[in-house]
Amino acid sequence: MSLTRYGYRNAISGFFEFPTDNARRILPAGLEPVELHHGTSIFSMTVFDFTESEVGAYGEAVMSVIVVPLVKPGERLPKSAFYPYLVATTTRAAREHAIERWHLPHWMEDVEIAFEPQGNRLTAKVAADGAPVAEMAVGDYSWNPVSHLYQSFMRDGDKSYLASITMEGEQSEHEEETGRVRLHEHAFNKDLAVSEVYDVPFREIWMRNGAQTFQPLVQLETA
Amino acid sequence: MEAAHKKEERKSVFSDYDYSNFYYGAGDDPVNLLGPFREWYQEAKPNGYYLYSEPLSSAPATHVQVRNGKTGAVHDLLNLASYNYLGISYREEVKQAAIEAVNKYGLGASGSPILSGTFDIHEELAREVASFKAKDAAILFPTGYSANVGFISSIMRSGDTIFCDQYSHASIVDGAILAKSKTVFFRHNNPLDLERKLGGVRGKKLVVVEGVYSMDGDVCVLPEIVDVAKRHGARVLIDEAHSTFLFGANGRGVAEHFGLDQEVDFHLGTFSKSLGGQGGFVCGGRDLIDYVNAFGRSRFFSCNLAPPLVAGLRAGLAIVEGEPELRAKLWSNVAYMRRRFAEEGIDIGKSTSQVMPVLVNNDAKVFAVAEKIQDRGLYLQPVTYPAVPKHKSRLRISVSAAHTEEDLEQAVRVIASVLREEGICR
Repeated sequence: MSLTRYGYRNAISGFFEFPTDNARRILPAGLEPVELHHGTSIFSMTVFDFTESEVGAYGEAVMSVIVVPLVKPGERLPKSAFYPYLVATTTRAAREHAIERWHLPHWMEDVEIAFEPQGNRLTAKVAADGAPVAEMAVGDYSWNPVSHLYQSFMRDGDKSYLASITMEGEQSEHEEETGRVRLHEHAFNKDLAVSEVYDVPFREIWMRNGAQTFQPLVQLETA
Repeated sequence: MEAAHKKEERKSVFSDYDYSNFYYGAGDDPVNLLGPFREWYQEAKPNGYYLYSEPLSSAPATHVQVRNGKTGAVHDLLNLASYNYLGISYREEVKQAAIEAVNKYGLGASGSPILSGTFDIHEELAREVASFKAKDAAILFPTGYSANVGFISSIMRSGDTIFCDQYSHASIVDGAILAKSKTVFFRHNNPLDLERKLGGVRGKKLVVVEGVYSMDGDVCVLPEIVDVAKRHGARVLIDEAHSTFLFGANGRGVAEHFGLDQEVDFHLGTFSKSLGGQGGFVCGGRDLIDYVNAFGRSRFFSCNLAPPLVAGLRAGLAIVEGEPELRAKLWSNVAYMRRRFAEEGIDIGKSTSQVMPVLVNNDAKVFAVAEKIQDRGLYLQPVTYPAVPKHKSRLRISVSAAHTEEDLEQAVRVIASVLREEGICR
């Protein structure tokens, strides 16, 4: 079985409350949003600082909705599952690679991604077309080595896919509500009712010095 | 070496997951999650989850007999876990009233409250509760959960909007789900966020708060919440599960404490906390109660409260009204515990009530801390994610008027010594 590995220096995620109505507008039929509370789903922004991959080093921003994982008897239970509805990369090579191999929906121009450490916080700034689209800051807590399984669902035309992804590295995860996101009015964020995304993440995950490993893509009968 | 590796792998099954991981799971069979849950729970239970649901073999008094969930041995422990805030459930007059009711009525009501299950003592209890709360009328529910679910879904509908504190009890959330209303959560005890979320919303609006929040023991900032709600034309429901019979000059609750009895539209309470019984109630005007009687499905599709229980509740209510010194003793005990915890450097967060979270703030250690505390003679439970946010794990303490100062001092000393040994406090 051939695995695809992406080494990273930093990967930061924020989990934000947003209306389930908005989540359902984004999700294709067959995928259900995980609700934090009744009527409140989870928008996730993850920004990677990849240092090694088949297409070299690059930055990547992934905008996702957290969805119900697929559970099969005898298989390892995933920590969570997500539906990435928009991926943006800093290089064309990375974008073409991810579209071809993983069927991920992309912002079709290079974006600029800058990481700005400040004390125990890390801020990622994403700009497209020369304009800012999103800035997200997360804080750290305590660091522990982890190896967690996640699922990513993709839709490409009438075909549905599942990628099982292992995230390894040092992880800080907490719900201290110290982070923040600013989503700018920009075509990049057209799928979100920006004013209804709560700007403080209820969960902040920061991983560093690790690797993201994809198992081969699986085509699903239904999504 | 291989065995050690396997042990490490097995440990990670427990530590990598929690209850939240077993709630959602797509697939083609509803039982697909049972296997992964069983595998996790087999590890979780001996690692501390056995502390939940350990059976008692005595009354929920200040000292209880508890069967250890790991060893099976029965221990006499100092009870800091029961809701019996006024020590009423085992009072002689309460037990006697229940015994007499058993002799008169038998065991159960044997019917729905709108059909054959209403007895004379149900009507008497409802009248007495309304009188105690200084309202026109009251209606009884089989549990506090049922009261929230039934009341909220009786008055709110699809197209309406319910605004709930983010730390709302499950019964409030489930009531909102059953009402099919749009549900909006505001940040905990935060009137500014409530104001932001109420802005521009049209139609029927209901704001739901709790008098005392059960995981943090903090009191609702009711004056500010009511002010915001009224300015936006929203009705206010207060769930006083943990505050009725305790707060306010007459024990009516947090609304009375703040002088807002009239401004709050709907008053809900339970009999399972301060009265040490079971059941819930809603108080208000006659029109409201008649309407809820007609549309509170969780109530009339359940059997009515058992008559012996109702008799015991009436006796308990009489004690509350006749012995205000019980409330004074409770608040004296609360003040003692707050002072002693502060002296020992123990963090109880924002609690200002009889519910006190001893913050451990370490999800990996909270079960070991709780085990050690139980081994040294205290009965209390750990609370961890997802019941509270990650790394906000705690030991939840319920102070009772029945505790003596010696009981409380013993509790503080045991907790402080364990927290120091575990490096939780200095």
